[in-house]
Amino acid sequence: MKLTIQDLLPVYFPESRKQNSEIWGQNLTFESGEMVKIVAPSGSGKTSLMHFLYGIRKDYNGEILYDTLSTRNFTAEDFAVQRKDSVSIVLQDMRLLTEQTVLQNLEIKRQLNPHHSKEKITEMAERLGIGSKLNSLAKTCSYGEQQRVAIIRSLLQPFRFLLLDEPFSHLDNNNSLLAMNLMLEEAKARNAAIIFADLERIEFFPFTKLYHL
Amino acid sequence: MSLSFKPIQPLLQTGTNAASRWFSYIGLGVGVLLLLCSVQMYINIQQLVGEAKVSSTGYDFISITKKVTNETAGQPEKNAFSEAELADIKGQPFLDGASPLVASQFHIKISGGEILPVSTDFFLESLEDEFIDTVPPSFKWEPGQINIPVIVSSDFFEAYNIFAPGQGLPQMSQETISGLPLIINAEGNGQQGKFIAKISAFSDRVNSILVPKSFLDWANKTFAPDKQFGYSRIFIKTKDANNAELLNYIDKKGFNINKDKTKFGRTKQVIQGIFTGLGVFGLLVVVMALMLFSFYLQLVIARSRDSLQLLLLLGYSPLWLSKNVSKKFIPIYVLIVLSALILTQIMQWAFHRFAMFSREELSTPIHWSVVVIAIALIILSAITNYRLVKKQLQSL
Repeated sequence: MKLTIQDLLPVYFPESRKQNSEIWGQNLTFESGEMVKIVAPSGSGKTSLMHFLYGIRKDYNGEILYDTLSTRNFTAEDFAVQRKDSVSIVLQDMRLLTEQTVLQNLEIKRQLNPHHSKEKITEMAERLGIGSKLNSLAKTCSYGEQQRVAIIRSLLQPFRFLLLDEPFSHLDNNNSLLAMNLMLEEAKARNAAIIFADLERIEFFPFTKLYHL
Repeated sequence: MSLSFKPIQPLLQTGTNAASRWFSYIGLGVGVLLLLCSVQMYINIQQLVGEAKVSSTGYDFISITKKVTNETAGQPEKNAFSEAELADIKGQPFLDGASPLVASQFHIKISGGEILPVSTDFFLESLEDEFIDTVPPSFKWEPGQINIPVIVSSDFFEAYNIFAPGQGLPQMSQETISGLPLIINAEGNGQQGKFIAKISAFSDRVNSILVPKSFLDWANKTFAPDKQFGYSRIFIKTKDANNAELLNYIDKKGFNINKDKTKFGRTKQVIQGIFTGLGVFGLLVVVMALMLFSFYLQLVIARSRDSLQLLLLLGYSPLWLSKNVSKKFIPIYVLIVLSALILTQIMQWAFHRFAMFSREELSTPIHWSVVVIAIALIILSAITNYRLVKKQLQSL
């Protein structure tokens, strides 16, 4: 699978943004297996970009293609299929079902297209240090814990692209490293690409491409 | 492993605003009950009035006359139907035939001879055989024949037996009077005739004393060649005496019609009107309840908006979600409509048993069309629900 952006720019950004950006206004193609790092200071449109790529928002000019198909013409149903089978995401704001337990949050995602067994959930949670939190309500978890739940959730499905929007903003270095390693393993096992947007360069992400937003 | 809705279910916040939910359930139940009962009662009326009133031949025969008013009294020609009026009546599409009752235009005296020593002025009428309910093979007359077969109204015969004892006359059975020769003296146009009449049948339909048409035509020509007053009565033949068009026509023309035969029709019209109104009202209540329910559903979706949005974000299909969210309410719809159907069945049973005393025209089980309507309502509710949820989810 390929992910292509063509002359992309949020409608609320001036054209001048294209001049200094390696993403906005450019024609780029990302392919499976690539490790793409996007360094973006605050306000540069990092979250917008991730939302555009994942199809949450459509207020942009230019084109985004999944393989050869423009996502502009995708229906909600088309996006559902992509999100179930091909594209996964860790959102900056986690987006958990706060009244559900951690396990329920993960199980709701897993049952959609089970790539891993139930046991694997426990294993991943243990690995990221939230094994004891599986039966706690998500709203009782700290941001750091919630972030790790969101990370595990993104890994429970098959994917060709994993989009990361500041996935470690609430994690310390050690926990970030553990999470990163897990994601890298999972991506490698699927020969998937990771598009990782963050405020600054993180040393432990072995990127193959680097862009400044 | 198939996708399960079970973990999704708690995300729908249905628990709040229970009052609104129960109101819509009850409203829907009442509306459906009204609708189903109205349809069933409508069918009951059709079966009772529509089918029961059609006589064995499939037709109703009713006589119509002109109203004799103070202005027209004493002017027999104004109170009779002309040939043109007869033709007009015959031409009406809701009638299957019309025949005039021709009255004797000459003086007639009838007596019972020695056995029944009573003598009275009388009248005779004739009508096409087709319109008479009891026509024996002997009901024929040819010129020169002294014996005349007569068909007498059962009501007249009954009336005789009522006043006979008071007049010192013997009461008689139909068989006895049928064997009795009645002497008819006709007079007019300077001529006299004597005939012997024998009752050959009794008619429940025609309130008259009928003789064969051939006899009366001959007698009128012979004893009253100059008189021609048209027809005082016309018998009409119709499949449905309760037809609104017929009643309208009669009213418009100012004719008199047997009120008893058409009374049923007028009552039927009123009752059917009431139940049609009730049915429409029921339908309105159903629509209102469905609307109320749709508001409730929109509220549920609005309250669960964040969760549903997240599910879509995770890759849940909007169609699958719509189907499952709306499916959740189908058992409630089925339960409501089924309850209404059972209540309708109880109503029908009670109506048949206690109000109609198990009359054969009606059936205790509800009519199949009521069941069809009930099923259609369930399907309609499910579809409107599904479409609403789908629309709501797509707008998230």
